[in-house]
Amino acid sequence: MTYKPRPPSILARLPWWLLAIVLLFVLGLWLIRTNQGYNTIFKALSGGIITTLWVTGVAFAAATALGLLVALARTSGNRLLRELATFYVEIIRGIPVLVFLFYVAFVGAPALVATLNWLLEPFGGAITIRQFDFAWRAIVALTICYSAFIAEIFRAGIEAVNRGQVEAAWALGLSRRQCFRLVIAPQALRTILPPLGNDFVSMVKDSALVSALGVQDITQLGKVYSSSTFLFFETYNVVAFLYLTMTVSLSLLIRLLEYYLRRERR
Amino acid sequence: MSSLLKLLATAAASLAFGAVTVQAQDALPDLDGRTIVAVTENAYVPLNFVDPKTGEGVGLEYDLFNEIAKRLNAKVDWQLSSWDVMIQAVRDGQFEVGMDGITINEERAELIDFSDPYLTSEQYMLVRADEARFTDAEGFAADPDLLIGAQAGTTNFYVAVYNVLDGEETNPRIKLFDTFGTSVSALQAGDVDTVLMDQTSANGYIGANPGAFKVIGGPLGAEDFGFILTQGSDLLDPINAAIAAIKADGTMDKLQQKWFYEYNAAQ
Repeated sequence: MTYKPRPPSILARLPWWLLAIVLLFVLGLWLIRTNQGYNTIFKALSGGIITTLWVTGVAFAAATALGLLVALARTSGNRLLRELATFYVEIIRGIPVLVFLFYVAFVGAPALVATLNWLLEPFGGAITIRQFDFAWRAIVALTICYSAFIAEIFRAGIEAVNRGQVEAAWALGLSRRQCFRLVIAPQALRTILPPLGNDFVSMVKDSALVSALGVQDITQLGKVYSSSTFLFFETYNVVAFLYLTMTVSLSLLIRLLEYYLRRERR
Repeated sequence: MSSLLKLLATAAASLAFGAVTVQAQDALPDLDGRTIVAVTENAYVPLNFVDPKTGEGVGLEYDLFNEIAKRLNAKVDWQLSSWDVMIQAVRDGQFEVGMDGITINEERAELIDFSDPYLTSEQYMLVRADEARFTDAEGFAADPDLLIGAQAGTTNFYVAVYNVLDGEETNPRIKLFDTFGTSVSALQAGDVDTVLMDQTSANGYIGANPGAFKVIGGPLGAEDFGFILTQGSDLLDPINAAIAAIKADGTMDKLQQKWFYEYNAAQ
């Protein structure tokens, strides 16, 4: 008589948390549709959605590219490159995003403009600090901050590939570059994608910090709207709803992706 | 030698003319249609804020500065930044003129140039509706258990320090918050016992939260608001001349009447 576990019932397998989230979302939408006050707040904040997505999207793409370069430097054979990249990651990871935003906006940006002007001087070109607006400074700051975290994700992914695979590639006479492209990268990608997605979700939330520079994102528009109507509680309800809609749907997408990656492996 | 004489003669002539133009109305400098880059935050009722109905930036400072530009034959390119970074950004020359109910003081004057004052702020004590422990600033100051909420380096902070408490900026009875909204939320929650604000904001909070707040005592404080300009700006003298003209012909009084008494923030 062998013991056979009974398959769990359909009720036990239902993701109740997901159901609760969907209900919450529907309730929020219904409130925004039917309640005049919430409707007005939503309209006032909707302009910030594009700004938030644009800042996050551009910064994340740039941070991923920069993070990959740093990760390659951290795993390269060249000692100087390794040391430099490690120094970069340790320093950047240790600074709060908000502090870094101010730093880039008021130390980095003027210095960059001055440097560019010095370079352009022979060609008669001159740029002013005004041509480098706050939204771009915020994007640069988020890019640099997140590139350090993303570099670590890439490094973990690269180092997780079995050493034997690399040795086999060498034995087959693949060059260093071929080995990375054909053997390491495809396998590392599976390890890398889920945490990379999680970083994207946290960047959506951290992008709220750009309101400190006055960039007109969801958070700043919420601040402005609530200060002129004195409706703080209601306004921040809508702010939270908008961020949740973005972050939860992204998280669900990442889960799907993980699911398919796991299926491929079998 | 003759050139020096000529120079002296023209200098004397321009001085004489200068003395004349100050007295004359409508003889303001002409900026020739130039565009002034001005910045504000839209988070300070009734000086600069977003009209909930239209989504447009409105307020006393908008009206006032547009009027100044009109009289100087200039256009205004309105920009937005947050209060946290406004002084620094004007100092860097990113914006030419900034306004956000900015109190004129010496520390700031080392970083940027102030225009002449265009408004003297009057602050009132907003308290919870059931407050019975004190009825004015003296009563508040006398009880060491009572706390006041303010934003670091803002008008209500300076008035709290110098007009309500003992002039000590590090007084532990002042609790600092990031925005007006947070300090009022803290008042409502009972973390602090009063927050200072102008009449319009006080009316706005009272109207938006029926039965939650009231105003006690008379007006406090004598903080002057000025426009901030990048140091050495050539706009300083024209703007000051325009402010003087606007005050002289009664336009300033009309603007104050409109935004401090007629405008109802909590509609």
